[in-house]
Amino acid sequence: MSRPTVQLRTLVRREILRFVRRPYNTFLPPIITNTLYFAVFGVILGSRIGSIAGVSYIQFVLPGLVVLGSISDAFENASFSIFHGRWNDYIDAVIVTPMSNLNMVASYVIASAIRGIVTALLIVGVGLVFTSVPISHPFYLAANVLVITTLFGGLGIIGGLWADDFDYLTVMNQFILRPLVFFGAVFYSLSVLPPLWRQVSLLNPMVYMVNGVRYGMIGVSEVDPNTSLAVLSTATVAVLAADYLLFRRGYGLTE
Amino acid sequence: MVAAIEIDGLTKRYGDVTALDGVSLSVPEGSFFGLLGPNGAGKTTFINILVGLARKSGGEARVFGHDIETEYRAARDRVGLAPQEFNVDRFFPIREVLEHKAGYHGIPSPEARQRADEALKQVGIYEKRDTRFDWLSGGMKRRFLIARALVTDPDLLILDEPTAGVDVQLRHDLWELITDLNEGGTTILLTTHYIEEAERLCDEVAILDQGRVVTVATPGDLMDRGTDRITVTFRDPIRSTPSIAAGNGQVEAVEIRDGRLVVSASQGGLVAPELVRELDAAGYEIVDLDVSRTSLEEVFVELTRSDSSVTEEGTA
Repeated sequence: MSRPTVQLRTLVRREILRFVRRPYNTFLPPIITNTLYFAVFGVILGSRIGSIAGVSYIQFVLPGLVVLGSISDAFENASFSIFHGRWNDYIDAVIVTPMSNLNMVASYVIASAIRGIVTALLIVGVGLVFTSVPISHPFYLAANVLVITTLFGGLGIIGGLWADDFDYLTVMNQFILRPLVFFGAVFYSLSVLPPLWRQVSLLNPMVYMVNGVRYGMIGVSEVDPNTSLAVLSTATVAVLAADYLLFRRGYGLTE
Repeated sequence: MVAAIEIDGLTKRYGDVTALDGVSLSVPEGSFFGLLGPNGAGKTTFINILVGLARKSGGEARVFGHDIETEYRAARDRVGLAPQEFNVDRFFPIREVLEHKAGYHGIPSPEARQRADEALKQVGIYEKRDTRFDWLSGGMKRRFLIARALVTDPDLLILDEPTAGVDVQLRHDLWELITDLNEGGTTILLTTHYIEEAERLCDEVAILDQGRVVTVATPGDLMDRGTDRITVTFRDPIRSTPSIAAGNGQVEAVEIRDGRLVVSASQGGLVAPELVRELDAAGYEIVDLDVSRTSLEEVFVELTRSDSSVTEEGTA
């Protein structure tokens, strides 16, 4: 195994162990939260709503919940790890090593994407308790989940480098990310919106993520799935490039 | 031989504040080099630039011939740092923290574990290997920082105030450890507030003040620059100051204290025999002689007392 591979593997492993060893803090919350979502929106309210796009309401909201959970956790993983390391200065122990900037960025992103994917699988697992989970287009499903968790792992790095306090993380997660996801057609179809709000919604990047995953699961999308995937992939590459440049510049890491 | 550290005109500015102002010095490979200076002199900034935690504003810095910016990976691979602050990953037991550190240097997992164990044994905290850093005592925390610096078997070990706040026994243990490492070929860069530490351990010291190198010299040379005190006790206490011709210009002051003659002179050890002969010839009956050498601390205080002490001796 080459030295860069050993370095990458070490930091990825460290990041994964950090969240695996604290399941009450990392895995249990999405299980509880999504159980409540499925119970309330899927079973109690869903039975009154009937079907949307040819599937039951609970199946309709499932892809959106997968997106909500996976991107939140991918973002939180990278942003918390980097911010906490800066806050307590132990990220210095990584910075002073011969690891390349590219390797450091890749490690944080890979671990965060893995956390997001694990969360996605947990949410699907919870969903299976309440309903059947169709997989209409496995490639689109896998590609979309991979791209969005990578994208939000990358955004988490930017957040972790930018944050000066724990409040910043809360602002990013609760006041920016979560509202965008909730208005990203997780719980409703864009077709129920008035034309103006439907157009406004299309400016929300979460719409494309939710629809991409929804297309992969139930085969229904209100935007072209290829366009969604291409736009999201481009955004991911741009964010990763920004991550690399920030690390190279030492933004938030060096004096 | 390539110098372990080669610095030329290194500058670091934080807005209007100049933390390092054209520092130039060279640390030979295999040496034990001390960096002394009062708080805020720029010692930690200097170290942080070397290891990539601060970015220089100007000048050049090389570690074993590798530029710290363009060849940062090669430069950092040779360095082990024990910082002043406890910047340790609190999520993991200390053995795993060391394994991670070794892994970041590209050392494969089985060897990383072996090295982690060796480093913990080396600093005497192996039995605490499964404990998290927060649960260690203050002295053990200091030992752990040194273990973390050693786990990659560095060629240059940088110790930033390694004995700050530790008890006398631990300080002596750490001195022994780093002396052994230096004798084994590891270059040591030590910053310290304890002058005794530098005097005892270092081959050479640089005194840094207000971001500039005041001087670079061996501790012995520095002490020779200070003023020694020769105290002569007579059978009958004297009341008037005898005329002193000894010392060939090295005598700076002569005074009487409690009937004793106190002569201040540079290189007092050389002046004393001549002084004794002269006093004896003049009929004084000497019953005791004490030569008190200036301490490195006194020289340090003198050199860092004011801005005017800064000289152009920065390049070693």
